[in-house]
Amino acid sequence: MNQPPRKLHEGKAKIVWEAPAGPEGPRCLVEFKDEATAFDGRKRGRIGGKGRVCNLLSAVFFELLEREGVPTHYLGTPSDREMLVRRVDIIPVEVVVRNVAAGSLAKRLGLEEGTPLPRPVLELYYKSDPLGDPMVNRHHVRAMGWASDEEMDRVEALALRVNEVLGRALERCNLRLIDFKLEFGRAPDGSVLLADEISPDTCRFWDVATGERLDKDRFRRDLGGVEEAYEEVLRRVTEAAETWKAERGTCTSGHRPGRARVHVTLKKTVLDPQGQAVLGSLRTMGYAEVRDVRVGKLIILELDDVAPERVEEMCRRLLANPVIEDFTVEIEDDCPSPRKEGAC
Amino acid sequence: MLTQAVRFGVIVFPGSNCDSDCHHVISRVLGQKAVYVWHKETCLDGLDCVVLPGGFSYGDYLRTGAIARFSPVMDAVADFAARGGLVLGICNGFQILLEAGLLPGAMLRNRCLQFRCHWTHVRVDNAGTPFTRLCRPGQVLRIPIAHAEGNWTAPPGVLEDLERRGRVVLRYVDRDGRATPEANPNGSLGSVAGIVNEGGNVLGLMPHPERCAEELLGSTDGRLIFESVVAHVRELRAAGGEGR
Repeated sequence: MNQPPRKLHEGKAKIVWEAPAGPEGPRCLVEFKDEATAFDGRKRGRIGGKGRVCNLLSAVFFELLEREGVPTHYLGTPSDREMLVRRVDIIPVEVVVRNVAAGSLAKRLGLEEGTPLPRPVLELYYKSDPLGDPMVNRHHVRAMGWASDEEMDRVEALALRVNEVLGRALERCNLRLIDFKLEFGRAPDGSVLLADEISPDTCRFWDVATGERLDKDRFRRDLGGVEEAYEEVLRRVTEAAETWKAERGTCTSGHRPGRARVHVTLKKTVLDPQGQAVLGSLRTMGYAEVRDVRVGKLIILELDDVAPERVEEMCRRLLANPVIEDFTVEIEDDCPSPRKEGAC
Repeated sequence: MLTQAVRFGVIVFPGSNCDSDCHHVISRVLGQKAVYVWHKETCLDGLDCVVLPGGFSYGDYLRTGAIARFSPVMDAVADFAARGGLVLGICNGFQILLEAGLLPGAMLRNRCLQFRCHWTHVRVDNAGTPFTRLCRPGQVLRIPIAHAEGNWTAPPGVLEDLERRGRVVLRYVDRDGRATPEANPNGSLGSVAGIVNEGGNVLGLMPHPERCAEELLGSTDGRLIFESVVAHVRELRAAGGEGR
């Protein structure tokens, strides 16, 4: 250590310290605190061991999600209370995904808490303490320039994917994923990464059998046994995590999500009238260096399960006409290789 | 049996728009039996001839005919054709038959890149098919076209093979019957306007015979195609065939 680490940000539950850059670029160290707040800071307290539980739980969840093709800022946990992460530019839009009516949604729509929603509901909130995190929609995000449409498409797709993966994994711990909040950030290369934390502070977990709340609602509503509930979730999840790890690389769903980019062009031997017209136009415009133009199609397939031979089959049967067209396929696998060892 | 109407089934895809015209010509002009067959049907029993009409099935998305080709009814059409049933694909119907592999080759965009909608002359190069038997060999028919992708092409050697076997049934020509580049409205290989399959029972053509079957519309040449089918089916029936 040549110089003391610089504090980049201190929030209600975490302190973010600057960390030396690594091979993956700029990094930060996140320190998880025991301080607890609720109702936008109007209720304050302390949950013993909370920092440790939230840090370790988040680590397990991030590792699981990475294996399932969700890119995260997570790099490792140097200690029980610290997480090393990639430094990202946080998108100021919090994403809440709900499976069961609870909390503010129950109140807002007059639903009884515990009413299952027929399909996951995704909500957006503007991340602003002074404003109390107001609910917003895509139009606000666009108008205020908080994130681009492409980024929000990605954010929403990732949030729903997180819901699938976590919901399935938690079920095996006898925990019901009621709802949760996520934050995303932009990496220096412009890609969107899942950031912040995933813990009883940011999720609602109910015991499958008893319906007992094992999350921050115990603190919010003075239900008692807060520390015990947090420890219980950590215990169940770390136990199950051993099984998840054994399944690494295969994805717990047994599928490898990803996408295929299919390029279709007319065969070289086939005259391309569109290409010829564009060529003529470019030449007229003075671009004499253009020798030939082929106009083709780009078809992007989002796949729950990547199987190159099936994509080829789709191309041969429908996407391209082999009599006149050639195609190339680029596969992007969302969960390519197991995490590199010793990241931290 | 002999006097019983010839039964045509007109397939209706989402986006077909010449189905009513075909139905009208078959039933009102020719006095035969026409029924609409929704693309989700899987049974074509009892029909003598299946017509795939023109239009823009599935919005021409991806490629013309590419999606319609996977409609449930197309398995039945392939089956029907394999058993010798008469299949007539007009314009978009021709494109679907190509995509389905029932006829060889593929359609490219018109060489001029324009949607062409006007009268053309086509020459009957094979008057021996069930669809042209009432025409004289080499007869020039006046039939309109209306398409953006009728630029038929095929891998090297295919056209020559088709020509040798008399499978090029119709070609774009000038009014004197000469296949000149100027008379070819879309740039199709060999000025091809219509071809049949190996068995001669599946015809695909870009011109619209249903649009020129009445005096009022400026030409009755299109009737010859439908009337040939009727004559063919009648002859089969007379010979004790199954009515196909």
